[in-house]
Amino acid sequence: MKVVTDPAKLLLERMLRLLRWRVWVQEKLQPTEWQITLLWAGFAGFLGALSSLVFQGLAEGAHQLLTGSNAGVVESMKQLPWWAVLALPAVGGLLAGIVLMLGKHLTKGQSSTDYMEAISIGSGHVPIRASLVKSTAALFSIGSGGSIGREGPMVQLAAVMASFIGRWRQFTPPQLRLMVACGAAAGIASAYNAPIAGSFFVAEIILGTIAMESLGPLAVSAVVAAMTVRVLTSEAQLYKVPEFRLSSPLEMPAYIALGVIAGVLAPWFLRSLKRAEQIFIATKLPLVARMTLGGLIVGALAIQVPEVCGNGYSVVVTILKGQVLWTTLLLFVACKWLATASSFGSGAPGGVFTPSLFMGAGAGFLFGQAVHAIWPGGAVDPRAFALVGMGAFLSAVSHAPVMAVIMLFEMTLSYDIILPLMLCSVVAYYTAKGLEGRSLYSEVLKKKAAEVSGDAGFGRGQVAELMKSKPPTLTRNAHFAEIARMFLATRVNNLYVTDAQARFLGAVSLHDIKPYLGEPELAELVIANDILREEFPRVGPESTLSEALGRFLNFEGERLPVVDSSGKLLGSLSKGDLLLALVEMRKKPLVV
Amino acid sequence: MTDLRVNSGEEAIRALHQRLRASTPEVRDAEQFMHDLLERAALSSVCIADDVALPHARTTAVGRIVLAVARMAGPVAFDAEHPRVRLVFLIGTPKAAVSEYLQTVAALSRMLKNVTTRAALLGAPTEAEFRAVLARAQQR
Repeated sequence: MKVVTDPAKLLLERMLRLLRWRVWVQEKLQPTEWQITLLWAGFAGFLGALSSLVFQGLAEGAHQLLTGSNAGVVESMKQLPWWAVLALPAVGGLLAGIVLMLGKHLTKGQSSTDYMEAISIGSGHVPIRASLVKSTAALFSIGSGGSIGREGPMVQLAAVMASFIGRWRQFTPPQLRLMVACGAAAGIASAYNAPIAGSFFVAEIILGTIAMESLGPLAVSAVVAAMTVRVLTSEAQLYKVPEFRLSSPLEMPAYIALGVIAGVLAPWFLRSLKRAEQIFIATKLPLVARMTLGGLIVGALAIQVPEVCGNGYSVVVTILKGQVLWTTLLLFVACKWLATASSFGSGAPGGVFTPSLFMGAGAGFLFGQAVHAIWPGGAVDPRAFALVGMGAFLSAVSHAPVMAVIMLFEMTLSYDIILPLMLCSVVAYYTAKGLEGRSLYSEVLKKKAAEVSGDAGFGRGQVAELMKSKPPTLTRNAHFAEIARMFLATRVNNLYVTDAQARFLGAVSLHDIKPYLGEPELAELVIANDILREEFPRVGPESTLSEALGRFLNFEGERLPVVDSSGKLLGSLSKGDLLLALVEMRKKPLVV
Repeated sequence: MTDLRVNSGEEAIRALHQRLRASTPEVRDAEQFMHDLLERAALSSVCIADDVALPHARTTAVGRIVLAVARMAGPVAFDAEHPRVRLVFLIGTPKAAVSEYLQTVAALSRMLKNVTTRAALLGAPTEAEFRAVLARAQQR
């Protein structure tokens, strides 16, 4: 007998099978919104690592193009004639300035590019064009030997990628901010091959919290980024250091003293960068001329001390090997300080993270040598002081001692030094904080926060600010097939039912229909109205976040409908967003 | 009820509603129940086969699930697509009983999907035999 089958029925059966499968997967794996966020965080980490590698490759390409050498920045500078050394950073500054100037036309109307601002006080939106312009300019500053770090643009690009994912997936502002934070963590993890420090950098400095709601996705993103870099470049730790150890407890006083010194020097270092910026602005020169001048100063210093060029990585390696005389190092540190202030002050886009490590290594080594000369037992190996100095200086500059300790450990994989490193970093942090309330990053954030209107962030702490508008809805006479299709397409567990005036009537629960997905006959009869739960909990747009949390306490779902006083459905509130916002609100006083 | 003589789907619903109202105190608000039944039928078809209709309502008017069954004496038009309905199962479920409602409707759908059962119900000579066929089908 020939079986005649209705194609519409076949389609319905197929759809119900798919929905059954989805429910099965959901029940077995039970992916919550948090778990899905982890997946996207991992993807952000992967893209962040790729963008970092591409930037690194382009920076090296720009350097080769400008110097004709594929050696490191310092080595290339040593090979060039004096006039080229003088001119090169200036040409780099000029090109970077031109890119920024031309880029202004392209990026008109775009908001600030700063990823920290986007995470802390903004909407999580990092503009793509403006970031690309800034990164292109950074290629010239870095490629020409400017005394500036690569990590800034690398983190920026990774954050842009993450922001792009978030906007594509139409994440709510708290989710988008978390996604950008994941991008930043991936950027740090890629730049320094330091996934733990990458996570803590963002958690401690930008988010101001190490709550698992945010630290989990940050860690996943950073791990994926570090894995990607390791697979694609076979890189191990950044600094290969000899085995250092605490030779005797008698060394501890010297380490404490180093902590105090780093804590005093770091605010000076920051103030000098700020002062340099003010001096450059006071010249009233246009940006292109300022950046050329900044490059020229670096070039002039580099004629005698080519080690001032670049982010200072190769010199740090030399210091950690102990292959430098203290007199030479004193000159390096002084010139590097001046060069970094010139590059940073003139407006060269880049980071001062690695230059900070240079300053710390230099100061630590010099101090260690001094103590060693007076009392050898108090500082047995000055190179260990260089390593600890790096952590202490970073801790004092960033006001993030946990991140600094972890980063040093990850960059060197030297655990033996952990005791003095921890103590010294904490002492440096408290000293710096006592002298100067602002860190390298809080300065930027405070300035930006003051510029942002009171409406940004969670000023009023109301549900409307977190609500995701246009949730998927059904009409009351939607058939089972349409309900199944929408459940398949939207990945929600409850579909809201509205009338023609968009008034909320109730919700259809996937849980209710789950046992009947194998019955297509039922599908022809049942409509949304038949299985509507009118008593479904809801929340008002003006409810406070704690009121909303109260509603979630008695509700097993992940989302609540937001309904105004006239009964109109305005959007939906996710439990994940609510918890993130509550975490953000808790740390808000740190930022403003 | 067997061999109910009505001229339209609405008349069939009214007759079954009347029967339920008379036979059980669980129908607490007869007018509201009727209103909800007709409103549901107006929203979308209540037929699951050419000759079977399941008018139903989730309503505040009943205290627990109520069910009335009737065989029409002749074909009755429930809507344009179902002009020859013979078997009508009227269901009323309390508002909150979504799962129970689905359970009942699913059980009836399964039972009435069976062509033999449908033929036996249509061919039962007496109300007693009609009930016996229903009971046997339910046991299966």
